[in-house]
Amino acid sequence: MDYKMLMETAVSAGEIMLSSGAEIYRVEDTMNYILRTAQVRTADAYVLSTGIIATLEDPRIDTITVVRRVGRRSTNLNRICQVNDISRKYCAGYLSLEEANGELKKAERTLIYRDFAKKLSIVGVTGFFALLLGGSILDGITAAVAGAVLALAMWLLENVSLNDFCNNAIGGFVIAYTSFALKQWIFPGCNLDLVIIGTIMPIVPGVTFTTAIRDTLNGDYSSGVARMVEAAVVALAVAAGVGTAMVVWKSIMGGSMLWS
Amino acid sequence: MVIRVIGAFLAVVCFSILLEMPLRQVLYAGFVGGIGWMMYLLVGVRGSDVAAAFVSSLVIALLCHILARIFKMPVTVYFVAGILPSVPGASIYRAVLYLIQGKTGLSNYYMVQTLQIAGAIAMAIFIMDSLFRVGKKERCPLRRQTEE
Repeated sequence: MDYKMLMETAVSAGEIMLSSGAEIYRVEDTMNYILRTAQVRTADAYVLSTGIIATLEDPRIDTITVVRRVGRRSTNLNRICQVNDISRKYCAGYLSLEEANGELKKAERTLIYRDFAKKLSIVGVTGFFALLLGGSILDGITAAVAGAVLALAMWLLENVSLNDFCNNAIGGFVIAYTSFALKQWIFPGCNLDLVIIGTIMPIVPGVTFTTAIRDTLNGDYSSGVARMVEAAVVALAVAAGVGTAMVVWKSIMGGSMLWS
Repeated sequence: MVIRVIGAFLAVVCFSILLEMPLRQVLYAGFVGGIGWMMYLLVGVRGSDVAAAFVSSLVIALLCHILARIFKMPVTVYFVAGILPSVPGASIYRAVLYLIQGKTGLSNYYMVQTLQIAGAIAMAIFIMDSLFRVGKKERCPLRRQTEE
């Protein structure tokens, strides 16, 4: 058996899963399953939310240890599914090591939906979230319009490589400012609070926060805390953007308070 | 109420696309999200937000595990989108917003609420996870050599 290849396969499976937003225990389990097919004395994977360490050790071979830093993280459920599928098939013997490795390389780059569909779904999320939170149809429409502006802003920001904090803060600013403008001039009857909360939903870190608590309950304390801080920082960025928009709006419009 | 549940269904469908969920699963996830939000609203009428989040997460987790068994997918796939309506995104945002505005009391209130709701959700998910893990066979049996 090619142990280096096995290690490479396990680590890249872990890397794809982790950067697609899988929970820590799932990444560790998957890697351990793959590594244990080597039938060596020690096969261990240690996963943090920002990196992976894995090792194979046996009297027959030189110890192999790999460290991989995982920087960018975003949620991509399709990749988690695919890696899960590949590791199942490999462990069950349907795929050889080379095939599994090739499949992983393919899975690393797949995207199902076009960019336009995603932008459209941002509009959908914002509009329907305002409804879900108990808004009227008018609130939904207002939030959808603000969501469209957010989608446009995010598309523009993709071309400028800023860090995530700035992106989220600008997103929050754009959302709040658009909502104020819509309330002032176009849809005066809408509920501003609901519109803003509905519209920030695509960028607010609710899922990260819940995953953080799940990690903590699973015993992965360091990752749980790291994810919690991540969620707090994103929320801070969004709220900072919204707060700035409030101040700017107030100073331009001469203190007309739209929000209570 | 009907409008809100339909809103939840469509919001989850849209969010699933944003999260790159395979197209076939998107509708099921929306279904999970809709039912979860209905439970949330039903419990929320009588009880607190935390109780509502707990019960709806239990239901969502149960549905997700069943769907995951049927379609042989990781549970997270249905979870992440399905849990979204109950997730405390709004209160975490409010907590930080009031903090920036200097309203410390309100900020603390929402911070605690965020923690409580997230805790309730995670607890519900954790309970379901543990229940489903009982009696589960190892996916890839450990074949360590015995002559160590």
